[in-house]
Amino acid sequence: MNLLPFYLIVSAFMFFTGVIGVMTRRNAIIVFMSIELMLNSANLTFVAFSSFLGNVSGQVFVFFVMAVAAAEAAVGLAIIISIYRNKMTANIDEINILKW
Amino acid sequence: MEMKDLFYAMPLLIVGGGILLILLIDMFFKGGKKIIPALTFFILLGTAYYSLFTINQLPIGLMPVSEFGLFYGMLSFGGKAHLFYFLFNFGSAIAVLIANDYLKKIETEYSEYYILLLSSVLGMMLIAGSRNLVMIFIGLEQMSISFYALAGYRRKNILSNEAALKYFLLGSFATGFLIYGMAFIFGTAQSMMLIDIFSQTSVLVKNPLFMIGILLFLIGFTFKIAAVPFHMWAPDVYEGSPTSVTALMATVGKAAAFSAILLIFVSVAKMGPNSVFSSMFSVVAVLSMLYGSIAAIAQKDIKRMLAYSSIAHAGYMTIGLAAVNPSGIAGIIFYLVAYTFMNLGAFGIIALLESKEGKFLSIEDYKGLGTRQPFLAASLAIIMFALSGIPPFAGFFGKYYIFLAAIQSGDTWLALVGVLSSVISVYFYLRVVVYMYFSKSDDESAILEISQTGLLAVIASLVLVIAFGLAPGSLIRLISGLI
Amino acid sequence: MTYYTFAFYAFAAIILLSAYAVVTSKNVIYSAFSLMLTFFGVAGFYALLGADFIAIVQLIVYVGGILTLMLFGVMLTNKITETEIKTGVFQVLPASIIIGMFSGVLIASISNNRWTVAEKLNNPQNSLVGIGSILMNEYILIFELLGVLLLIALIGAASIARK
Repeated sequence: MNLLPFYLIVSAFMFFTGVIGVMTRRNAIIVFMSIELMLNSANLTFVAFSSFLGNVSGQVFVFFVMAVAAAEAAVGLAIIISIYRNKMTANIDEINILKW
Repeated sequence: MEMKDLFYAMPLLIVGGGILLILLIDMFFKGGKKIIPALTFFILLGTAYYSLFTINQLPIGLMPVSEFGLFYGMLSFGGKAHLFYFLFNFGSAIAVLIANDYLKKIETEYSEYYILLLSSVLGMMLIAGSRNLVMIFIGLEQMSISFYALAGYRRKNILSNEAALKYFLLGSFATGFLIYGMAFIFGTAQSMMLIDIFSQTSVLVKNPLFMIGILLFLIGFTFKIAAVPFHMWAPDVYEGSPTSVTALMATVGKAAAFSAILLIFVSVAKMGPNSVFSSMFSVVAVLSMLYGSIAAIAQKDIKRMLAYSSIAHAGYMTIGLAAVNPSGIAGIIFYLVAYTFMNLGAFGIIALLESKEGKFLSIEDYKGLGTRQPFLAASLAIIMFALSGIPPFAGFFGKYYIFLAAIQSGDTWLALVGVLSSVISVYFYLRVVVYMYFSKSDDESAILEISQTGLLAVIASLVLVIAFGLAPGSLIRLISGLI
Repeated sequence: MTYYTFAFYAFAAIILLSAYAVVTSKNVIYSAFSLMLTFFGVAGFYALLGADFIAIVQLIVYVGGILTLMLFGVMLTNKITETEIKTGVFQVLPASIIIGMFSGVLIASISNNRWTVAEKLNNPQNSLVGIGSILMNEYILIFELLGVLLLIALIGAASIARK
């Protein structure tokens, strides 16, 4: 039995779960987690293709994506900390943060 | 890899080495901090110079490598890539001039600003020169991570923090689409190399999964160029970031995203039934132009107004993509050059006038500027004329070439919508000019001392905007020769 | 049903259920721990696909690094992340219709595609040798650039987060 389409469908579901999370949730950290779901599903698609096509470069790409995701998480945490610092000193109620 | 690859990759090496050099100077020489802005400026200017003069020339006695690329075919050399290298480096050099005194004014003068700026330029160059999907991804992330950090550079300012958070979340969201698209391109084309993908596009365009991959890839980059319907981050991010950073991301950052779209879209469009993407881009173009122009009318903050106008400009450039012909692509590159220098000039003037507390950002504040700062007012007026597309400035010819390409490919209606949107946009651009010359200021307080380097940046952009307006032929001939 | 397909369905169930929990959970901490389960499920898939190296890296980088950073962020900033960061202007209905249509098209074209499968899948080899050699040859430039990228991320993070 060829399982490749099944792997791809699982990762597609995961991807769209992430997209829905980004669009509907209002908490910055949950939005970021949903983005990680999207990245993971793309990685899964890459590895599935890589292994079924017998082409290792897909796995190398996943390796790069993971390193970049770690770098992004570091920058994201720094941004959240800087907001936290300013909000400790500023009045939270008066800040109308991020309309979109 | 061979030694001559290093020689060919000179522009990347200069900028990459510059990052490390500045890092070392910052760490080990106490007195070295003063020369860092100047050093960054000359690194960028030198790279721009080198790239410009190697567009058509190949070093004598060596093989033309542009056929197979550098580093196992990862990077291209010469041609369009070097034209983009020139644009990125020269534009960023002007942005360094803007930043130098602006950072002193807002009291956040740290050398990591210049490190992050250089690394964003390195990322842009990797995008424009890449011949491999992984390279596009790494270049884009290098640019984006530097921009996230730069947007939040005023860490004591809550607006800047918010801009960084919003840019970060939506930028990563776009990255998710991008790599999911790349996964399907890889799965159907069975290769990461653009050259392999292009060689089989005529077969692949019949595969719906490949087309979905390209679509997701393009969605990712539509975020980065801030075109409707993926524009929602642009006004807040452009408004909240420090002005010198906005000048950088609104101009060369957008140009880098366009260079990636051109990279992959051109050959896909050449091969297959382009009607799907052509109509998709037409919709994006029409929505962006009209939405950007109409929303800009209601704005009170000048940076926000320019953000909406940049959405509209992304729409004009997308017409060139919808036209899918070589003259459309040449028009896009010309428009990008003109757009970069017009907006660098505009943001340069805003950065000069802005005060430390963030005053002088509302359009109302520009009342009576004509008598208080005659030179800056005249420059801003010329840039506003150029942005609205009034001849004989560079903005007019940008629109002219794009609309011409649309008419050539039979999309006359797109050109008509473009003209309509330009007419709408004249209202909000000229409102600034009217305020400057025909209204009295309520507040006659003196403007801060005008910085010398910032003035130099404005003059440099102004000269280019006028020069490309008076003699557009030489630039468009150069671009057309590369496509 | 072989063990392989059984493992496949088990991991698929873990991934889909926990991904759903990440997105719908009211409590941020629950979301974070569901995300950990998703990461484990994906690592299991990688192992099933014969990508042993990537499976280990997934556990080390995602569970050990990124998730820890996120939990740190959650616990540090619990007060502010409770405030809403988006106003309700987003059009949920049209967005969900577009997503539904798009996912339908995607899944239909995945299942209708005729896939050619490489032979060696039936006997998965250790993938580490292949990854190592390709990383040090074709992808050497990108590998080096990744170092620059991580350095820049550190500088950027330090620049934003310092006092």
